[in-house]
Amino acid sequence: MQRLAVRRFGRVNWRGLAALYQRGVQRYLTQWVESLIGPLASALLFLVIFVLARGEGDADIWPGIDTPSFVGAGLVMVAASYTAFETLAMNLLYEKIEGVIKDLLAAPLSALEILVAWLAAALTNGLITAAAVMLVMQPFVDWSFAQPLKLLVFAVLGLLLFALVGLLAGLWARTWDHYALAETLFILPLTFLSGVFYLGRDLPAFGQDLLAGNPIFYAYDGFRSGLLGRADSDPLVGAAYLLGLLALLAALAWSLLARGWRLKD
Amino acid sequence: MTPDDSALAQPADQSPQPDKTAVPPAAPRQLGRVNGRGLWTLYRKEVQRFLNVFTQTVMAPVVTTLLFLAIFTLALGREGMGGSVSYAQFLAPGLVVMAIVQNAFANTASSMVISKIQGNIVDVLMPPLAAWELVLGFLAGGVTRGLLVGSAVILAMTFFVELPFADPLAILFYALNASIALSLLGLLAGIWSEKFDHLAAVTNFVIMPLSFLSGTFYSLDRLPESWQNVALFNPFFYMIDGLRYGVIGQADASLTVGAIYLVALNVALFAVIHRLVLRGWHLKA
Repeated sequence: MQRLAVRRFGRVNWRGLAALYQRGVQRYLTQWVESLIGPLASALLFLVIFVLARGEGDADIWPGIDTPSFVGAGLVMVAASYTAFETLAMNLLYEKIEGVIKDLLAAPLSALEILVAWLAAALTNGLITAAAVMLVMQPFVDWSFAQPLKLLVFAVLGLLLFALVGLLAGLWARTWDHYALAETLFILPLTFLSGVFYLGRDLPAFGQDLLAGNPIFYAYDGFRSGLLGRADSDPLVGAAYLLGLLALLAALAWSLLARGWRLKD
Repeated sequence: MTPDDSALAQPADQSPQPDKTAVPPAAPRQLGRVNGRGLWTLYRKEVQRFLNVFTQTVMAPVVTTLLFLAIFTLALGREGMGGSVSYAQFLAPGLVVMAIVQNAFANTASSMVISKIQGNIVDVLMPPLAAWELVLGFLAGGVTRGLLVGSAVILAMTFFVELPFADPLAILFYALNASIALSLLGLLAGIWSEKFDHLAAVTNFVIMPLSFLSGTFYSLDRLPESWQNVALFNPFFYMIDGLRYGVIGQADASLTVGAIYLVALNVALFAVIHRLVLRGWHLKA
């Protein structure tokens, strides 16, 4: 009788990595009513409020850039951030609660491969949300797409940051109440208070310091300046800050995954 | 086959011999005109349900609403609303209504959909509760959550904005009517929905837009004239306008019209839902 041979793969289990990535994206796409339409509708609602609430004589945010264009650009990133966060946090918690996380832990995937596949899936989903929101906002905004490369770089950096935070939150949480806690006290304030709706100059001095220390502000501002051609922060400082933080969080997530923290208890 | 069925299917000769020492069968419980005990139990179940996940059902909306107050005051509050009213004072009562509306709706709607999907809706349909008692029990649960979240929000806001509370009775009247209307709408949406996707669609496309665009963030005169006329048929507009009058003493539209409209709407909604529950529409299929 012929016995099944052990599957051989090289240094990287590409097939396993691709399968895990594909599942992350597939889940988002099959649940599109909740995962895509929800954020799309709320981003559009916020934008419409700003279109309507804007009076005839209201001054532009910057010369030639009106409030809806400015706020809309930030709202794109808010919606995409949520997607990146939810892709990992929600799915991971769901799998832990249902017990199906075992299927993943038993598969011949290293912690690094799991990390890469998950981050790539969250990034893909976030970029899909961003593209969809940008599309539906077109009638209300006036974006010049001045620096497409900058737009892409900061979108990727920002979404990876939210993906990592989502991963850590998903590992940490044991119940849906924990998840809600992380979302309400952490993600919601971080997305909304990161300069989406106002410039640093509108804040009191204390608020300006807080904004300057907030990494998400740099991601959103970098992305927005890719659309509008004008920034509120220095892109080099922002990119360096974000890269450093990403490396730190990725190392933390990798070591937690390798140890099986809150996965194998 | 359920355990009950298998017991019935037993051949007669195998049934246990009658036991002479057994207590006589309990007499059916006598209910008066109203099954007060059942109603109270249903209400307690509805309240306990959302208090068990307090973080998601009370704390999250309060934090979200306070964030909205901060953001929109920063982004749109550079000029006042005319007169002595600041933008934050104008905005705060609108946000309170928004919180009430979304939470009253979410409570009855999610309770109903979860019960239907998990199948434990039979536990609510089986007991000797009349259709109107059933509607009232769910309604009271939704109103409790709406008013609880609303009170928590308005209390927290007093730390940041100076609110004069011009007419407390009007605040209570409009908060109560907004809670009732949205609890009933939530019940209707919950009964209609077959799965969470349906409910998500109603929330995203009906409740969210109406609660966001009905005058929380801007005065009626900011709208184009044709839309001002449309707004005058929007019940959400009257909820916001009425509660805002109670807090800051200024209203955009007639308060009498708003009050009559809301009460009539609530009576009509109750009647319609009562009929649907009586027929078992989407409940006993």
